[in-house]
Amino acid sequence: MSHSPIRAYLRPNGSWGLRNHVLVLPLHSALSSSARAIEDACPGAVAITHDWSGEVDGDLQRIIRILAGFASNPNNFATIFLSLGSANEEEIIAQAENLGLANVVHLSLPHIGSTKLLIDVGIREASDLLVRAHEQIRIEAPWSAIVLGLECGGSDALSGITANPALGVASDRLVELGAMSVLGETTEILGAEHLLAARAITQDIGQRIIETVARYEKSINYEGIDLRGAQPSRGNIEGGLSTLEEKSLGAAKKAGNAQLSGVLEYAEIPPARGLYFMDTPGHDIEQLTGYAAGHINIVVFTTGRGTPTGSAIMPVIKVATNSPMAMKLSDLIDLDAGSIADGMETLAEVGTRIFDEIIRIANGCETKAEISGNHEFALSRMYKTIVSYDA
Amino acid sequence: MRKILILHVNDNVAVALTDISQGELISQDEYLFTAKDNIARGHKLATRNISINEGIIKYGERMGHATSEIRTGEHVHVHNVLGDRLSSEVK
Repeated sequence: MSHSPIRAYLRPNGSWGLRNHVLVLPLHSALSSSARAIEDACPGAVAITHDWSGEVDGDLQRIIRILAGFASNPNNFATIFLSLGSANEEEIIAQAENLGLANVVHLSLPHIGSTKLLIDVGIREASDLLVRAHEQIRIEAPWSAIVLGLECGGSDALSGITANPALGVASDRLVELGAMSVLGETTEILGAEHLLAARAITQDIGQRIIETVARYEKSINYEGIDLRGAQPSRGNIEGGLSTLEEKSLGAAKKAGNAQLSGVLEYAEIPPARGLYFMDTPGHDIEQLTGYAAGHINIVVFTTGRGTPTGSAIMPVIKVATNSPMAMKLSDLIDLDAGSIADGMETLAEVGTRIFDEIIRIANGCETKAEISGNHEFALSRMYKTIVSYDA
Repeated sequence: MRKILILHVNDNVAVALTDISQGELISQDEYLFTAKDNIARGHKLATRNISINEGIIKYGERMGHATSEIRTGEHVHVHNVLGDRLSSEVK
């Protein structure tokens, strides 16, 4: 195996961080403003906000898993949890520790007594953690330090010809070197699942990907929804995509030609090197949250129409499918793959540029989304929210 | 500069690499035909006649079917193509 140029942060459980964040995570939506106040007062700390208020319904275990996975992503040096002191919040913290989070601060509002005090204590804790985070240094890391998430959004008809297959070239090369790469968005492999199943390392895994798509297709038919109008979206159609299958055939190109090593549930952590498929919704931000909760530490996001979407804890590299958009939205786009359609560059050449960019960003250079401070977060739910609380 | 891209030998559509005007002659490799519609960059055009209900093949894979007769050089899009799955037409 070739020597890796990756330099990263080694976590106590042996995983690798490509960033070194101090995360402020409210465990109840009512603590979101407090989390923001701590973030604002501590340059370098990052906070997310969400809309979960401790509801005990069909999604409870899913939400516990998402928040615990997000908090324990190896890109986090430490996480400060803000809670209302419920048992489910305690469970999230316990799971995050089990998933490898080493530096945990738990601030409970009922215990502290006022939001003002909660914010003051939070600022002091965050400042202390930031000092400790700055003492960490990057060290030589193996290729397996890269856990790459593949994503596309705002696709056009060039996505499947330029940016997606070029990303596939980079993904294949990383997988071959020993990294992990994860494809997602179940909606957007519908019509291409047979091609992924044929590349599965076992028949069981092939069968699972077929079943995952069938489960999704059945749920859509059950709801009586006609996806036409939503998939492909109006923007996709303007871009030249006519059917969901066409979009999927192009979307699956992001995963190159590597063998498929497994199928993951939403927010599940890939167990070993190789290419995986994660069962995620086609919603870009819910999908990114699932990736972060599944301990993916870097994402490449191909886009035809352009989007500012980013993550609080994962660098998200934007690759444009076409040059006019790359020029128009140059403050959002890190790399332009449109040259392939103009005959100016080959897939292999752009694939190499994406590969090099992944290494550059992994080693600490910031993406456009990081520079602009895009911190989108969304919880993915399966059921209606039922108002019943455990507190 | 090449005007169209054929992704797989089995395909019956090509992708426009540039905006193509109605009446424009496409002469590339073994293809020689006239564009029957204005076709925007990234959109598809038929590289042979396609009958109603016949599969639309791109990347060498079926991406839907024709909902009307499509002649060589015509724009192939939502007005004459429907996906095979998850569409209200097929129940």
